[in-house]
Amino acid sequence: MLANFKTLKYFFIEHKWAYILGVVWLIFVDVLQLLLPEILRTFTDDLQANLIGRAEIFRYGIYMLIIGFLLAFFRFLWRIYIIGTSKKLEFELRNKLFSHLLKLSTNYFNKSKTGDLMAHATNDINAVRMALGPGIVMVVDAVFITVIATFMMFFTTDVRLTLLALFPLPFLAFASGRFGKTINLRFRKVQESFSSLTETVQENLSGIRVVKTFVQEEKEVEKFAAKNQNVFNKQMHLVKIFGVFQPLIMAISSLSYLIVIVYGGTLVINRDISLGDFIAFNSYLALLIWPMMAAGWVVNILQRGSASMARINTILDVEPEIVDREDAVTIEKLRGDIHFDNTSFKFPDTDEYALKNFNLNIPAGSTIGVIGRTGSGKSTVASLLLHLFEAQEGEIRIDGIPIEKIKIESLRNHIGYVDQDSFLFSTTIADNIAFGVDEASQEEVERVAKIAQVHENILDFPEGYKTFVGERGVTLSGGQKQRISIARALIKDPQILILDDSLSAVDTDTEEKILGHLKKEMESKTSILIAHRISTIKDCDKIVVLDAGEILEEGTHEELLKNKNLYFELYEKQLLEEEITKED
Amino acid sequence: MSNYHEEENLGKAYDSKLMGRLLSYAKPYWKIIALCIVLLIFIAGVELARPYFIQVAIDEHINVYDRPLYVYDEPVAEGGTEYNDRYFYTEKPDELYDSMAQLVRIEGEVYLLQEFLGNVDVPGTFESGNGDYLVFEDRQIPANRLDDEGIQAFRAEDINSLWRIGWIFLGLIISAFIMNYIQVYALNYASNKIIYNIRQQLFSHVEYMSLSFFDKNPVGRLVTRITNDTETLHQMYTEVLVSFFKDIFILIGVVIVMLTMSFRLALLTFLVLPVLLLSSYLFRLKVRDAYRQVRLKLARINSSLSENFTGMKTIQTFKREAQQFNKFNKTNEELLAANKREVFIFAIYRPSMEIIRSLGFAIIIWYGGGQVVQGNIQFGILFAFINYIKQFFQPINNLTEKYNVLQSSMASSERIFKLLDTHSSIQDTEDPKPLKSFKGEIEFKNVWFAYNDDEWVLKDVSFKISPGESIAFVGATGAGKSSIINLMARFYDIQEGEILIDGVNIKDLSITDLRENIGIVLQDVFMFAGDIKGNISLDNPNISREKIKEIAKYVNLHRFIEKLPNGYDEPVMERGSTLSSGQKQLLAFARALAFNPAVLVLDEATSNIDTETEELVQDAMQKIIKGKTTIAIAHRLSTIQSCDKIIVLHKGRIREMGNHNQLLSEKGLYYNLYELQYKDIR
Repeated sequence: MLANFKTLKYFFIEHKWAYILGVVWLIFVDVLQLLLPEILRTFTDDLQANLIGRAEIFRYGIYMLIIGFLLAFFRFLWRIYIIGTSKKLEFELRNKLFSHLLKLSTNYFNKSKTGDLMAHATNDINAVRMALGPGIVMVVDAVFITVIATFMMFFTTDVRLTLLALFPLPFLAFASGRFGKTINLRFRKVQESFSSLTETVQENLSGIRVVKTFVQEEKEVEKFAAKNQNVFNKQMHLVKIFGVFQPLIMAISSLSYLIVIVYGGTLVINRDISLGDFIAFNSYLALLIWPMMAAGWVVNILQRGSASMARINTILDVEPEIVDREDAVTIEKLRGDIHFDNTSFKFPDTDEYALKNFNLNIPAGSTIGVIGRTGSGKSTVASLLLHLFEAQEGEIRIDGIPIEKIKIESLRNHIGYVDQDSFLFSTTIADNIAFGVDEASQEEVERVAKIAQVHENILDFPEGYKTFVGERGVTLSGGQKQRISIARALIKDPQILILDDSLSAVDTDTEEKILGHLKKEMESKTSILIAHRISTIKDCDKIVVLDAGEILEEGTHEELLKNKNLYFELYEKQLLEEEITKED
Repeated sequence: MSNYHEEENLGKAYDSKLMGRLLSYAKPYWKIIALCIVLLIFIAGVELARPYFIQVAIDEHINVYDRPLYVYDEPVAEGGTEYNDRYFYTEKPDELYDSMAQLVRIEGEVYLLQEFLGNVDVPGTFESGNGDYLVFEDRQIPANRLDDEGIQAFRAEDINSLWRIGWIFLGLIISAFIMNYIQVYALNYASNKIIYNIRQQLFSHVEYMSLSFFDKNPVGRLVTRITNDTETLHQMYTEVLVSFFKDIFILIGVVIVMLTMSFRLALLTFLVLPVLLLSSYLFRLKVRDAYRQVRLKLARINSSLSENFTGMKTIQTFKREAQQFNKFNKTNEELLAANKREVFIFAIYRPSMEIIRSLGFAIIIWYGGGQVVQGNIQFGILFAFINYIKQFFQPINNLTEKYNVLQSSMASSERIFKLLDTHSSIQDTEDPKPLKSFKGEIEFKNVWFAYNDDEWVLKDVSFKISPGESIAFVGATGAGKSSIINLMARFYDIQEGEILIDGVNIKDLSITDLRENIGIVLQDVFMFAGDIKGNISLDNPNISREKIKEIAKYVNLHRFIEKLPNGYDEPVMERGSTLSSGQKQLLAFARALAFNPAVLVLDEATSNIDTETEELVQDAMQKIIKGKTTIAIAHRLSTIQSCDKIIVLHKGRIREMGNHNQLLSEKGLYYNLYELQYKDIR
């Protein structure tokens, strides 16, 4: 169980003093707590023996106050030391997990659900923190108090009384452990019924059109009622046993008090123990109840923490698929010659080639168009060039250097990539445009926004460039998002620009303007335009037509039209479409 | 991601309007809740009884060295103690006693003093000469030193009493255990019922909302309302509402018991109360603020995480990992700071309670100790006070902790009620006209429609479909074809014009009647988790297995189902991958036919279907179109060539109308569309 926490060894070593001192303060607190019964004992006996005057009484009161202050002081200290450190641990673990995830390949995020990652970064980290903060406190506290209090009862009061009075307590610990297990089991059932309810709602609301179309609302409400009832039943099933737990603990601990009253009282009467002993014993008992109740809980917290740590470790153990090779170089100045040499590529866990025997020479400063139907492998070209994936066969060279030998950071810094999805962050538009650079002047931001033909739109927003994107601000249309993404790529002043189907939501007039501006901007630089629309690429120096991962034909727009092949068909079709949409 | 943002809006912890509305859900269960409260009074009483029993045991039966004994020569009643031929009674049977005596304890020895002095504050010395005496400062009194046997003789009755207390206490423990259990169970029963009801109401409410509502509210958010927000309320009912009563009862109980035991000592002890209240008040403000900060930062962390995960490709292609990490680190540091502040505040708050408590202890010892010495109060009371002060602080700590639960439940209930107060934009008229033997005549009269203000999707659309006719709508993407379906089934209401069915405006019909008579095959074939047959019949018990099979055969689906390992009982997973998209299309036909509607509306899927299935889909569609009044929204023009009438929509207006051959010869828009399809790429 503890092995899982090895990952945090460095943290414990680094913060060992916080933990050690924290435990020391905690033990101080326990010792002080255990002093109280002793003070009460002597106070009582002195009082009984009439050995006490005003001065002594005053002194005992002062003792109480001093102990109170010291208790408060050391409680304050352990909270700061242990709980504070556990918060620090939570912080570090979260950073560690996040920085690790940043290193993992794009492919990892395609495979894992965001929801799962979120759960790891929130719930699991919290469970680990609970185990290593309050968990540790409870273990130390429970063990120390139990041992010392039992010891004191045995040796300062009466063996028989101690044995009798403590007789119910192991049952308490046992019950709390035993019930804990059953409760956990039933609690899981409740959670299962709850997630089943959630799924039902999720599914029903996703299919609401079907429900409404077939007027099935009433029946769906009934279906929901069944799930809802199931949650209710599982809850009550849990309560049946959970409801016993707390009252049982109260009853068992009261039983201990009962024994002390009857048997302890008899012992006082028979002069076997003093009244002070009786009082002290009662106070020790009060201290003992809590650790017994906590026993089951502590085990639970530690187990949960350990399981969560194991889940986090699984993520931390994932190796990034693509890392810099040792001999990788940084390129200061890139010309932009790109060479695909018989490149073949399959996505992980698939059998079919996404790109097969791909040969393409892109001289620096030229503009290349890539066209083809969905799934023809257009975007794969961009992914490989960005080194998001590694080709299994063949070679990709930039300026004559194989792509694997270029430091990933250096490579991507020289490429401006506009993604299909055009993902924007929920920050201001200006920040989104300047995402790829450390600093950008307002003029620079506006300059690229103008090239991307989005400047005017932005000015129409309530706060212009300072407008937030997303829920806290404006909802952007697909075309606006695409154009902001283009501006975002341009501000990097990249030597290679890749537009991956990123003009699809922009109307053809605007597209023409953007392409015209781009031509000037990218004059001496390399551009790769990936599209399914002829209008995007027709002016390229060279156009490659992809079909099922292979180059079907290549050439200029005119050459390809003459071929009367796929490109021609696409052209004809789009011409007709254009004609239809142009009608009013 | 929306959920994380909402977390930021933590309102006040208590809002009487919201609370009133929440409590109205508890009304049907007021008897159970009242029972719980009554039981809690008793349970609180038992919790307060323990220190009391200890006090009684000490003062009445253990520490009895100030108790008078009445001495008789003859046994006058039961229960006396015989010692040296004299009889000693703790309670005088009559006034005719000879003398009084008492037990005193000096340095571990117990003496029978032949005189009653009461509280002996100066210990005497024992002298044995001719006769035994206890010598006090100024006088000597005859006394006997008691041996163990003697003590047992005198104290037998006290030990019996201790046993009696033990039995009573045991009885109380057992009954408290039972009542406690009943209370927990009953309370949970009521609160789970309440949550069940709220959930049911909420779900039904959402279920009957119009589609425009679902356009605006993401499914995820609605799911959170129905499940998680109600769960928070559950916590409020079980953890806050009733335990609040218990805490209050304990507080009141402690005060009452202390006042009855010793009025003056109690009043003096209560001197700590103002300090206690003041510090709880001050800290509560701080705690609330700290808690809010933590929640806020945590929400930020969550939305930042979720955003970074979704945008990871962008981050990586721009190589901004370091920068994103720095940003995250900053948010994380803010959370750490907020957390540390919370830890600090709690680290001061909790221990400060400790100091106040010890101040209470000190007061009890200072004043109470002196009173004990003077014999004004008994020692047991002193100890009981110390115990009660401990018990007094527990509810106060509880109350501050429940504050957080209260706060989030208020926020949840506000969101729930807001949803409940949103009403469906499409509702039945008060007195819907019955739809008798639906013929299937449909007419659109100058219909104008927009999903959003002024963005007209349909402009002045008019057409009429006679019973038995098959009609098809064609047009480019965005021409408004699918909207026709939405309007016909009254998923949305039109802004201008009229839609008539058998001459009746659809707004005057009941929605159920309307939709039951129109079978719609949707583009997106939604598969429910369950099995194949359930997906066809939508688990309607009126549709028999045979009927399902018959329909499946008719729409060419049967052959595929047969091949599945479990046939019609084959389980279907969420968004089902059991069937191909073509097969799903067939299933959608079957689904629509299973309900035997008068009018069938087909919205053809645009998705790619393999050629083999495509033929089967075409075949099924042809069959269906021939048999019924059909309205088809077609993307493949080949499907609808045999329709009686084809309507060409363009940018929300009807451009052409006629049959296939007529429209082709017009060489208009239909001709172009047809060409486009004909020129289909290989």
